[in-house]
Formats: sequence, C-alpha cells, structure tokens
Amino acid sequence: MSTEAHHGAADDHGHAHDHGHDDHHDPKWYSPSRWLFSTNHKDIGTLYLIFALFAGIVGTAFSGFMRVELMEPGLQLFDGKAFGGFFGNEHDYNVITTMHGLIMIFFMVMPALIGGFGNWFVPLMIGAPDMAMPRMNNISFWLLPASFFLLVLSMFVPAQATGDATGFGGGWVLYPPLSGTAGHSGPAMDLVILSLHVAGISSILGAINFIVTILNMRAPGMTLHKMPLFAWSMLVTAFLLVLALPVLAGALTMLLTDRNFGSKFFVPAGGGDPVMFQHLFWFFGHPEVYIMILPGFGIVSHVVSTFSRKPVFGYLAMAYAMAAIGIIGFIVWAHHMYTVGMNVNLKAYFVAATMVIAVPTGVKIFSWIATMWGGSIEFKVPMLWAIGFIFLFTVGGVTGVVLANAGVDHALHDTYYVVAHFHYVLSLGAVFTLFCGWYYWFEKIWGVKYNGVLAGLHFWFMFIGSNMIFFPQHFLGLQGMPRRYVDYTPAFEQWHYWSTMGYFVMLVGMAFFFLSLVEAAIRRRKAEANPWGEGATTLEWTLSSPPPFHQFNDLPRVR
Amino acid sequence: MADGAVKHDYHLVKPSPWPLLGSIGILLLALGGVAYMKGLFGIEKGTIWAPLPGFVFIVWVLIGWWGDVIKESRGGDHKEVVQISLRYGMVLFIASEVMFFVAWFWGFFEMAIFHDLRASGHYDLANPDLEALKGWATWPITQITPEGPEQIHTFDPFHLPLINTLILLLSGTTVTWAHHALQVGDRKSAKWGLLLTVILGVCFTALQVVEYGEAGFSYDGSLYGSAFFMATGFHGAHVVIGTIFLAVCLFRLMAGGMKPEKHLGFEFAAWYWHFVDVVWLFLFAFVYVAPHVIWPGGAGVH
Amino acid sequence: MRSRKRLFAALPVLLLGSGGAHAAPVPGGINFQAAATDTAQRVHEFHDTVLVIIAAITVFVTALLIWVMVRYNRRANPKASQFSHNTVVEVLWTVIPVLILVFIAYRSFPLLYEQDVFPEVAENEVVDVKVYGRQWFWSYIYGEGDEALEYDSNMVPADALAAGQVAQLSVDYPMVVPVGKHVRLSVTASDVIHSWAMPAFALKTDAIPGRLNQLWFKVDEPGVFYGQCSELCGQRHAYMPIEVRVLPEDQYLAWLEKSKASVADGRAYLDEVQPLGGSQLASSN
Ligand code: HEA
Ligand code: HEA
Ligand code: CUA
Ligand SMILES: [Cu+2]
Repeated sequence: MSTEAHHGAADDHGHAHDHGHDDHHDPKWYSPSRWLFSTNHKDIGTLYLIFALFAGIVGTAFSGFMRVELMEPGLQLFDGKAFGGFFGNEHDYNVITTMHGLIMIFFMVMPALIGGFGNWFVPLMIGAPDMAMPRMNNISFWLLPASFFLLVLSMFVPAQATGDATGFGGGWVLYPPLSGTAGHSGPAMDLVILSLHVAGISSILGAINFIVTILNMRAPGMTLHKMPLFAWSMLVTAFLLVLALPVLAGALTMLLTDRNFGSKFFVPAGGGDPVMFQHLFWFFGHPEVYIMILPGFGIVSHVVSTFSRKPVFGYLAMAYAMAAIGIIGFIVWAHHMYTVGMNVNLKAYFVAATMVIAVPTGVKIFSWIATMWGGSIEFKVPMLWAIGFIFLFTVGGVTGVVLANAGVDHALHDTYYVVAHFHYVLSLGAVFTLFCGWYYWFEKIWGVKYNGVLAGLHFWFMFIGSNMIFFPQHFLGLQGMPRRYVDYTPAFEQWHYWSTMGYFVMLVGMAFFFLSLVEAAIRRRKAEANPWGEGATTLEWTLSSPPPFHQFNDLPRVR
Repeated sequence: MADGAVKHDYHLVKPSPWPLLGSIGILLLALGGVAYMKGLFGIEKGTIWAPLPGFVFIVWVLIGWWGDVIKESRGGDHKEVVQISLRYGMVLFIASEVMFFVAWFWGFFEMAIFHDLRASGHYDLANPDLEALKGWATWPITQITPEGPEQIHTFDPFHLPLINTLILLLSGTTVTWAHHALQVGDRKSAKWGLLLTVILGVCFTALQVVEYGEAGFSYDGSLYGSAFFMATGFHGAHVVIGTIFLAVCLFRLMAGGMKPEKHLGFEFAAWYWHFVDVVWLFLFAFVYVAPHVIWPGGAGVH
Repeated sequence: MRSRKRLFAALPVLLLGSGGAHAAPVPGGINFQAAATDTAQRVHEFHDTVLVIIAAITVFVTALLIWVMVRYNRRANPKASQFSHNTVVEVLWTVIPVLILVFIAYRSFPLLYEQDVFPEVAENEVVDVKVYGRQWFWSYIYGEGDEALEYDSNMVPADALAAGQVAQLSVDYPMVVPVGKHVRLSVTASDVIHSWAMPAFALKTDAIPGRLNQLWFKVDEPGVFYGQCSELCGQRHAYMPIEVRVLPEDQYLAWLEKSKASVADGRAYLDEVQPLGGSQLASSN
C-alpha cells in the first residue's frame, strides 16, 4: 500500500514546529486537564497503557502469591499465620486466584491490547485524525479505574453475612450457587458483579467507538480490503465485544437479583438452574478468549511483515480468518461445560464445532511463516516476541484441540492441564503479543529509544521462565492435579516446584523490562519517525515519533 | 503539533470533564447500591437513599454531557461525516441492547423448553432440593410459598397485554407521523405526533403497572416469576427511557430546535422506540401468548 | 511412548506393598494415572493418538520457524522477495488440518458415546450408588428406604494418617464397589457445585444442586483409587478427596452388611480384607 501524506508527514515535520500555531495550542504534558479531560486518542491510549501496566503488576504479584503457596505441599502463605496472617487462609487463596484471573483479563490484557494499542494505532493506521467519539473514548477509559476500585474493594469487605472472611473466592467464572447467597452472602460478591458491569460498559462503549471509527473514518482510498490487519483485528474484536458482553451483563444482573431481590434464576429450589448461568457466562466467556488474542494476531502480522521486509502473505485470508474465528467463536461455548451433565449429542456437536476453529487459526500460523519465507528477516526485539508467540501459541492451541474432545476433557477438565492450556495462549500468547506491540511501537508512542540489550534479556528470561512455569503444568494435569487447590498431595510437588522456579526466572525478565523503561526514560534518545526501515509500511510510520497532537489535519490519500 | 489548517470534517471534540465525572457518578452509584443491598462503610443495609447521590450525579452528568452535544450540533460541529458516525454508533448501541435482551429470553426459553427434560430425573431421592424440582414437570412451573408449592396463574395475553401491544404499535405509527411531518417542515404536526407518542408511552407504562399489581405470581416466587418480571421489567425500563428520550425531543422541538434536514436526536429516539416496540412483540408472542396457548389451564387472572 | 506409559503405569504397583491395582499420582509423573477401567484405557489410547498428532504439528511448525530463521535471515538472504500468494499451499494448509481434525473426530465420537451412554446390561449387573457433594465432604448412599446405607466420607487430616494412607487423598470412609459390575453413580450436591472426579477411570461429573448427573464405570481388578473434588466449592475445596475401594463381590457384600450395622465395622472389615501396603506412595518422597 503506498501513501502520500501531505501534512504531518515525517519529512516536513521539521518546519511543522515553526508554523501552524495560530488557532491550536497543544497542551503541555503536565497539564492535568490534558489527562483528566482528554479527548485525544493517543493520550487516552497512553492512559490505558499505564493503567494496564499497573494492573499487570498487581496481577503478577497475585500469581506470585499463588506460585509461592504451591511451591511445596502444605500451607505456606495462606495458613493464617505467615507474615502475621497477612495472607489469611485457604479462602483467601481462592480470592487471590479469582482476582488474578479477573485482573489479568479485564484490567491487563484487554486495556493494554484494545484500549492502549487499539486507541493509539487504529486511527493512525487508517489515516484518521482521532476516534469517532473522542469524549466517549474517555469515559471508556475512566470507567476502568472505577471498576478496578470496586474489584479491589471487594477483597476487603465481608465474604459472608457473618464471619470475618473477606473477598470473593469463587473463581473468575463466578459460578452460582458459590457466587450466590448460598456461597457468598456478603457484599464482596456484589462489588465484583458491579465491577464487571462497569468494566463491561467501558468495553461496550469502547468497542462501538472502534467499529464506528473503522467503518466511517478510513482515509480516502483505504477500502476495507486495503486496511491494515491490526485494524481488521480490532474490528472483529469490537464486534465480539458488542455482541458478547451484554449477555454477560444479563447473567450478572440475574445473579445480582438472585442475591438481593429473591429471584430464582439460578436457585434450584425455585426452579432455577445453576447450569444456565454457565451457559450465559460461556456464551460471553468463549468469545472473550478470542477478544484477548485477536488484537495480538493483528500486531504479530505487522511485526512479522515489517522485519521480514515482505508484505503479509495471504492478506485477505488473514483478515477473513479472523472474522471466521470471531463467528465460530460464538457457537462453541459449551466446551467449557462437558462435565455438567449435558446431553451426549450436544457434547458431540460442541466437540466438532470447537475443533473447526483450529482451521482458520492454522491459516494464520502458516501465513505468518509464509510471510517470513523468502523474506530478509531481522531479529529485532519485536520480532523475537512475534516468533516466540507463534511457537507458544501453537503449543497452547493444540492442547486446546485435545480439550475440545469431550472424551478426554472428562479426564482433564478442571485440572492443571487446562491451566497450562490457557496460560500458553494467554500468558504466553496474548502477553507475548502485548510485549511484541510494546517494543514495536515503543518509540512511536514515547518518542525515545529503548535499549535493545535490556529488551532482549527481557524476552529471553520471559520465554524460558514462562515455559518453565507452564509446561510442567501439563504433567500435573494429566496426573490429575485439580485447579484452584491451595494444597495438594506430595506426589505433585516436583512439577509445582519447577513451576514456581520458572516464576522467579520470569520475574528476572520483568526486572529487565522495568530496567529498560527506566533506562529509556533517563537516556531520552530521540526516536526517528520510522526506526524499522522499508518493511514498516503502515501510516503510523509516516508521522513523527511521537506523532503530532492532532495528526492528519489534511487526510492522507491511499492508493 | 498542529500542521496547518484542519482540512477535514471530523469533529475534534474539546477536552471535557463529563467522562471523568460520569465515571465517578457510576462508582458512587455502585457503592451506594451495594450499601443499600448489603450495607457498606457503616451504612445500614436497606438504606433507601444510599444509591441516590450516585444517581443524581449521573443525571447531572448526562444533562451536562448531552447539553454539550446539542450545543456542538448547533455550532455546526456535526458535519455530514460526523452524523454518519453518530448513526452507526446508535445502531451498534441498539445491537448491544438486543444482546442484553437475548440473556432474558435465553433464560426464559431454557425453562420453557427444557422443563420436562430436567424434571425427568430420579426424583425419589430424599433431597429437598430435588423434591422442589417436581414442579418443573408443569409449565409454567409452580411457585414456592410459605404454605408450600402453588400452581402459577399466568396472565391472559388477550386482555391488558393485547391492549398494550396495540398501544405500542400505535405509538410506532405516531412517531413515524411526527418524523415525516418534521422532514417536510410541518412542525405543528410533528409536535402533535410526538406528543401523542409520549402520551401513549406513558399509557403503556401505566397499564403495565396496573398489570403488575394484579400478577398471580411474584418475582421471588419461582423461576417463572423471575424470568417474567426481569424480561418485562427491563422492557418497561426501556419504555420509560424511550419516553423520556421522546419527551426531550418534544421539548427541543417546541423550543425551536430540530431542523427538517438534521434532527439526529429525534431519529435516534425514534429508532430506540422502534427497538422497544419490537422487543415487546417478542415478549408478547413468547412470554405472554405461547405459554397461554401451550398450557391454557394456568390462565386465571384477567 | 507406549513403553514409557507402561512404566508409569507399573510404578504405583511396584511401590504398593499389597497386590491389586492402585492409582494415585506419582512423583514426577508426566502422564495419566494408570487406567483402571476399559473406558479409561480407551481414553488413554485416544489421548496418545492425539498427542502424537499435536506433537507432530508443533514440531512441524517449529521446524518451519527454524528453517525460515536460518535460511531467510538478513545475512543469508539480504534481498526479500515480495510474493504474497500461493494458492496451492493455501489450499493445502486449509485442507490438511481439516482432514486431521476429521480423523480426530472420527476417533473421538465413539469414545464419547462409550463413556456417556450407559451400556445395556442386566439389572443384576448394575450397582447403584448415590453421591452427594457437600461443603466439604462427600456422602454415599447405597440402596433405598429402610435398607439404605448412608454415610459421609471425610478426608483424613495430615496428622491422623495411618500407615499406607496418602496425604490429601485418603478418607475415613471410602466408597466401596464390587469388581466387574457396572457401577452407576447418581451425583448431586446439596449446597454449591462440586465435581466427583476419578483420574484412574478418566471420569468426572459435576455435582450440581438440583440436578442429577450420572456416571458409570466397571473395574475388573480389586484396588484402591483416589480422586479429588474438581469444582471450586469454597474454602476447603482442596480437602474433600474421593477414595474408591474395589472389592471382590463377596467381600463387597460383606462390607455392605457390616456397614449397615455400623460404618466403623465396615471400615475395620475393609482394613482387614484390603490392607494398605507397607511401603506407600506418601512416604516414597
Ligand atoms: C487467548 C485465549 C484462548 C485461546 C486463543 C484459546 C483457544 C482454544 N481453546 Fe481455550 N481456553 C482459554 C483461553 C483460550 N483458548 C481459557 C482462559 C480457558 C479456561 C477458562 C477457565 O475455565 O477458567 C480455556 C479452556 C478451554 C477449554 C475447556 C477446558 C476445560 O475447562 O475442560 C477448551 C475445550 O475445548 C478449549 C479449547 C480451545 C481451542 C480448541 C482453541 C483453539 O482456538 C486453538 C486453535 C489453535 C491451534 C490448533 C494451533 C494452531 C493451528 C495449527 C498449527 C493448524 C493445525 C492444527 C490442527 C490440525 C490441530 N479451551
Ligand atoms: C491474561 C491472563 C493471565 C495471565 C497473563 C496470567 C499469568 C500468570 N498466571 Fe494465571 N490465570 C489466569 C489468567 C492469566 N494468568 C486465569 C483466567 C486463571 C484462572 C482463575 C480462576 O481459576 O478463576 C489463572 C490461574 C492461574 C493459576 C491457577 C491457580 C489455581 O487454579 O489454583 C496459576 C498457578 O500457577 C497461575 C499462575 C500465573 C502465573 C505464574 C502467571 C505469570 O505468567 C505472570 C507473569 C506476568 C506476566 C507475563 C504479565 C506481565 C505484564 C505486565 C506487568 C503488564 C505490562 C503492560 C504493558 C506493557 C502495558 N494463574
Ligand atoms: Cu467440593 Cu470442590
Ligand atoms: Cu472456550
């Protein structure tokens, strides 16, 4: 795709400083109203990224609590005594697990990939001056801290109407009756419900904004079939959000009124059915897992193409594969529920439907490799993450295919095999694409360069550490180790031990990540408009780093 | 840095306090809600006014926010391309609302279609939970009262619900009338059409309140009651919102706003109203008529 | 693959003093626990087949990645070619995965139906047990009405483990079933959702309040099998294990008789006819 952008283009940025100040004054970076009242997609994107970084630290700390607890049999942290009883008891382990899942999903991965990179780069890539509804964009962001506050608060208010346990410890899937009055009668669970309601509103508004922006604000000449794949991935993701989240909201509302106003949706004694909640939850929950991975697919496509200096192989197939994944993603939900006593024919249907998703996903994997094929590959840091991702996602994806088969899933459901599967696609899949995008766009966003050595060390320690954490969990799962266990029989110790060791290796990697941030902030090496050379063809690279406060005042024309 | 003059029609909105304030309002509402439902921060459970500050806050934000939108629209910020954006946005918002209703219908259909299946287990077990499920074998299921299980009497769809259906359908035509009138510049007819629509909306809500008062079952009595009131209740809430939306348009119309060639607020209110209308038709067909036809014995009230 | 699996299957038996099948996790184990039923055996075979397939796919993808990294890096290939289409490979990498998946499904469905559908057998070949999940123990019910035997099954706390018992897995009153019969469990719960899981049988089903889920298995050798509650059910979720004792039919009937008089007598009888071996898994690490 070739572009010809007159203004705001990197080459005439030099004198852009000298004129054009007539009617606009760009706000100073320290002006509070710039951040609090922002209507600028890049600033809002930055807010999202910082928020995600913060939430990611909390989520990572929580996973550390779990890993330390699980390092050996018996209770280490959650025995009511360690550190003056700071960690509480087994219930608090469940709370930490639940919060870890929710925080990583709703407050780390989604805000970073969708809110952060989506906001930053969808308008830039499609040649738009901003999002379609800049003010709504801002409330999408501000609802997140509110939601996060409610979630964190829930950890400190009573779990039950009586007793002094606090927090909701029923898993991120919130199954009643455990999440109902029967399991958690205190205000903690109500706060979790409202937190997710608020996060849901945030995501729905954000998703509407993305769809409208993409459909209506593409630069002249940029047809949908010329649109960069990251924008495509955000389009599909946004549709999944708009269609899936309201169903979750419905389920949560029913749960809320079951808890507080006596309705009987999930209460067996009144004719209700706990399994119905699971259906509603997973009707949202399965699309949700693709919501977390599709933006990453988009990022990886760009990175692979950029550093191979080749156009994306099978561009159209790549776009439509994502659409196919999105659509099929809506009809496979009950593969999370093979053990609830579903009719066997229904199970067979869900087995078949679920496995179908491997086909478009395979198209993506192979197309990335074909993009590299014949290319001239440069192993810059983003490319390391991208290649690492392709490998790790394949590992996670194929274990998903194992789980899709109800016959084996009867054995593996709710064991660590599942934990291993979804961390390979999430913690090693989605998170790797997150860092991939981070290093790919770092200079564009912050206007300074990072130290490639530190970033490389970050990658290698994360790669080795994460594999060490999660590969042994397959073994644990096959051996029968159930999920959400604070304590286990001694036979499981070995692999848990290695898993925890892996966590520490991973932490070293994260230390390099933070070092690289500090280093970049201190050194402040001025970034170029396009650090990646001829491989980087999308519009964001035609702008300065960081781009002007308002880009594309004169719309670029795409041929 | 701004590079020269802006040469596009998009609307670059000025920084605005409303999003941040709105989010604070929602936070207050959520905290107040939990305080009301469960007690929080020393506020007693059942404190009616607890959610009030958040609610008022939100209403204030909505007025301020949409007030700004109207001002911007008058100021010429809503060029053609911006209008298209707003239209897409409204359509998508309605799509998400549809999915919200899918959840209620899902619950309802699961119970309606599978109640037999669920009831055909081994219920000779001495399990009080399972004992209660014997009610599933009937449709609509029995409800639990302090005196024991009791057969539910559903509404006769061909009394108040039918009247309500007609009211809504009629209001659909009046709003279209008003719209056409506005488009051809006949502001007087537009006002009448809109006024009638609002009145019909209020009538619907009033009749719904009457109907609720005569229900032979309760929200907390059984799954049937829960599903019925949740679905129709949320629909009712949407009717109220839609009525307010239309009323705001009426006021704007009377204050001289809304032009024949550009009246997005009106259009969106009309779309919203049609959406509410269609949802009602589904409710009428499946929640009212279908059970009545399939299981006529239960209809007693009205 | 095969031989390694047999080794791991054998391990617990080697460690177990007494004869009879026995299944529990083994230290460092990397595969399923030894299969105790034909169905579980079939699950393992199916899993092994799929494992080979997915391993091959992963190796293939990895090999391609390594190849492109070696062959097409900047130094080896300074000038990138610019092709972006090749219909033949695109069709291939769509069709071949489809064929692979069809093959997997073809093996998967019969297994699923075999597990799920209770086989048609004579009534006297069937033993019914009702299972209740409760916070935080299991209850088992044999028979109905006045004749019924009902008892609770609690985990043996760490400080009360007798010789041969396994930490976190052994219970005070195990579930007991006869060899060679089709055991049919009707599983439900009285408070929140639990899940009755038995790795050696490759089975689990959720215990859901208000629902009755069924599960069946047939074990052909006497033995001791351990499982754990597999649905998060609150604070003591990790402490409601499942122990199944499979006995020859006459011993089973004797146990049933004794237990009806007193569950403690039943337990004593169990220890007598099926003592847990001296050198035990728990002490082996
Ligand atoms: C990013 C998130 C993500 C992604 C992308 C996926 C992708 C997939 N998932 Fe996963 N999954 C989760 C997140 C994700 N999952 C989570 C969070 C849970 C647990 C939730 C909970 O209970 O808490 C879960 C649980 C889960 C279960 C339920 C397990 C259980 O609880 O018992 C199942 C079962 O079918 C499943 C299947 C799949 C499948 C088939 C895919 C497929 O999309 C994978 C497709 C990819 C490939 C197959 C690899 C590449 C393809 C090729 C190289 C082509 C050739 C391949 C073949 C021919 C096989 N997943
Ligand atoms: C995206 C989702 C995500 C991520 C990234 C992770 C990351 C990790 N998780 Fe997991 N986890 C879940 C989602 C995730 N998890 C879910 C849904 C569950 C199920 C919960 C339930 O049962 O209800 C779960 C459960 C779970 C368990 C099972 C607990 C149990 O069943 O008892 C364990 C145990 O080891 C675990 C460990 C870890 C570890 C060690 C990491 C490590 O990989 C952590 C390392 C950290 C990172 C890789 C992220 C670093 C990122 C940042 C700091 C942000 C950077 C941001 C910018 C640059 C903008 N997690
Ligand atoms: Cu019972 Cu988990
Ligand atoms: Cu899924």
